[in-house]
Amino acid sequence: MNIRKLLLRNETALIIAIVVLSLIIGIKSPEFFTLANLFDIFRSSFVQLIFALGVLIVIISGGIDISFPAVGIFAGYTAVVLMQRFEWNPENLLLPIALAIIIGTILGAINSIAIATFGIPTLIATLGTSGIFRGLMLTFIGSSFISDIPVALDKFATADLLKIQPEVGTLARLHVLIIPVAILTILVSLLLTRTMFGRSVYALGGGVEATRRLGISVKRTQAKIYMLVGGLSGLAGILYVSLQRKANPYDLAGSELDIIAAVVLGGASIMGGYGTVFGTVLGVLLISLIKGNLILLGVSGSWQRAAVGALLLIGITVQALNESKKAKNRRVSTSDEAGQ
Amino acid sequence: MNERLSRFNTGLLADRKITQLMIFTTLTFFFFSYASRDIFFSSSNFISMAYQIPEIAILSIALMLSMLTGGIDLSIVSISNAAALVASWVMTTKMDEAGNLSTNWIIIACVLGTIIGVLAGAVNSILVARLNVTPILATLATMTLFNGIAIGITNGESVSGLPEQFMRVGNGTFFGIPTPFVLMIFIAIAVGFLINRTTLGLKVFLVGTNRKAAQYSVMGDRKVIAWVYLISGLLSSLAGLIIASRTSAASPDFGSSYILLAIVIVVLGGINPNGGFGTVTGVILATVVLQMVASGFNALRFSQFLYLAAQGGVLIFVMILNVILEKRRTNRSIAKSLRS
Repeated sequence: MNIRKLLLRNETALIIAIVVLSLIIGIKSPEFFTLANLFDIFRSSFVQLIFALGVLIVIISGGIDISFPAVGIFAGYTAVVLMQRFEWNPENLLLPIALAIIIGTILGAINSIAIATFGIPTLIATLGTSGIFRGLMLTFIGSSFISDIPVALDKFATADLLKIQPEVGTLARLHVLIIPVAILTILVSLLLTRTMFGRSVYALGGGVEATRRLGISVKRTQAKIYMLVGGLSGLAGILYVSLQRKANPYDLAGSELDIIAAVVLGGASIMGGYGTVFGTVLGVLLISLIKGNLILLGVSGSWQRAAVGALLLIGITVQALNESKKAKNRRVSTSDEAGQ
Repeated sequence: MNERLSRFNTGLLADRKITQLMIFTTLTFFFFSYASRDIFFSSSNFISMAYQIPEIAILSIALMLSMLTGGIDLSIVSISNAAALVASWVMTTKMDEAGNLSTNWIIIACVLGTIIGVLAGAVNSILVARLNVTPILATLATMTLFNGIAIGITNGESVSGLPEQFMRVGNGTFFGIPTPFVLMIFIAIAVGFLINRTTLGLKVFLVGTNRKAAQYSVMGDRKVIAWVYLISGLLSSLAGLIIASRTSAASPDFGSSYILLAIVIVVLGGINPNGGFGTVTGVILATVVLQMVASGFNALRFSQFLYLAAQGGVLIFVMILNVILEKRRTNRSIAKSLRS
C-alpha cells in the first residue's frame, strides 16, 4: 500500500486526531501524561468498547441498533436481581456474567423477530423494543437502585492486573478486564474478517438483494446479528454494573449516542458494507479521551455532550464529502470509458 | 364506468388508514371510559388532555414532514428545547422585579425562538440536502450538538418563572377552547394545505415515493428536502414555545422521551417510514389515541414506565400489522392479475 493511501485512511486520521488532542491537553496540564490517567481512560473504555463492537456489526450490516443500552442495563440489573432473589452463590463471578449474556441474547432475539421476521426498519424496531425493555424492567423487575451487588461483582471492580506506584502522583491501576476485552476485540475482528458469517454481514451491508442472490439467507444472518449484539450488550451491561459497584436501572439511558458516534467516527459507514474493528477501537478511545479530559482543557464538564455532537458532525461531514468525491470520480471514469 | 370504480377504490384505499385509526380511537376511548368512569370520563380530564395534546402533535407533524420524504428528523426535541430556552432567557433577563414584561418584548423573544428553530433546521438542511448525509445520522449528530450546546450554556439547569402574560397563551382559552389546541388546529391546517395544495407538497410526496425518479425529473429534489427540514425546525420551535408557555419553564432535557412518542404517533398515524404516504389528520388522530392511553394509564394508576413499554409495544404492533396487511394486499392483487 502506498503512503498516500495509508494517510487517507480513516484510522490514520483518527490516530493523528488522538495524538494532537493528547498533545494539546498535555501541554495545558501535565498531569495528563501519567500512567494513572492512561489506565483511567482504558477503564472507562471497556464497557463502551464492548457495546461499540456490537453496534459495529449492526452498522456494517446496514442497520442501526439503539436498543443496546436498554438491553445492557436490563440484562445487568436483572442478573443482579435474580442473584439476590434466589440467593445464588454471590461469590461466583461467572454466574451473573453468564446470566446477563443469556438475558441479553433473549432480548436480542426479540429484536431479531421484529427485524428479520417482519422486516421492520431497524431504527424503528429497536426504538420500539428499547421502550418495551426499559418500561418492562422498571415496572416488573424493579425501579430501585441496588447498592449491595453480589460480592464477586463488587470485588471485580477493584481487580487490578498491575499496580504501579510512580515516585510522585497517584497510584496507576490497570484493570484485569483489559485482557478479556482485548481477546474479545480480536475475536470479533476474526469473526468479521475470517468467517462465512462475517462475510455475509459485510455483504448484507453492501446490498440486501445482491446478498440474497449470492445464496446467503438474509433473514438468518440478520437474526444472528441481533442476537449476537444482544449477547454482547448483556455482557457490557453486567460489566458496567460491576465496575460501577451498583445496579441502577436508570443508568445508560442516552449513552447510545456516544457509542454510535464512536463507531461512526471509527469509519464505519452508516449505509453499511464498511467498517473495521481497529477503527472502532480508536473511535471509542477518542470519545473517552474527550469526555474524560475536557476538564483538563479548562472546559466545563457540561460541554461534554456538545463536544461529542460536534465531533460526530465533523466525522459524518468528512465521510459524506469523501463519498461524494468518490461518486464524482466514478462518474468521470465511466463517462471516459463511454467516450473512448 | 370501470375507471370510475377503480378511482373510487383507490380513494378508499388512501383513506383506509384513517378509517382504521378512527375505529382504533373510538375503541380506546370507550375502553378507558368504561375502565375508569369517574376519572378518565370527566370534563377536567378532557380539558387537561386538550392542553397536553398540542405540543406533541406539532412535534409529530414536524417529524411527519421529514418522514414523507423518506428521511427522519431526530433533532426535533432538541430544537424545541433550544428555542424555548432562548425565548425564556430573553424574557427573564428583560423582566422587571414584579415579573412584568411588555408585550413587545414577549413577541421579540418568541420571534428569536423561532429564528433559532429555523437556523437549527437550516443546519439539518445543509447536512441532509447539500452534503448528502443520511438523515438518521445527520439529525442524530445535530440532536446531540443542539442539546449539548443548550446544556453547556445553561449548565443543565432550567429557566423558570416566565412572565404572566406569556403563560396566559399556554394556559388560557380562546372562545372556550384551550389556546394551544387552537394553535395546533391552525398549524395542522397550514401544514395540510402545504402538503396537499401546493407544488412543494406534491414534490415532497414525489421525493418520498421515488427519489431517483424525482432526481431524473429535474424538479430540484435537494431544494424540496432542504425546505422540509427548515419547516420541521420552525414547527419544532413553535412546539417549544408552547411547552415553555404551558409549563412556565424551559429546560435542556425536557421531554427526552418525546422522540420515541413522536415516532410512535407518526407511524400509528399511517405515515410510511420509507416516505411517500401520510396525512396530517392521521397524525392528529394518533396523538389523541396516545394521549388517551397516557391519561387512561394515569387514571388507572398504572406506572409511567408501563406507558413507556406500551408506546414501544404500539410501535412494534402497528409496524407488524402494516407488514402483514401489505403482504396480504400484494398477494391479493397478484392473484387478481393472474386470474384476469
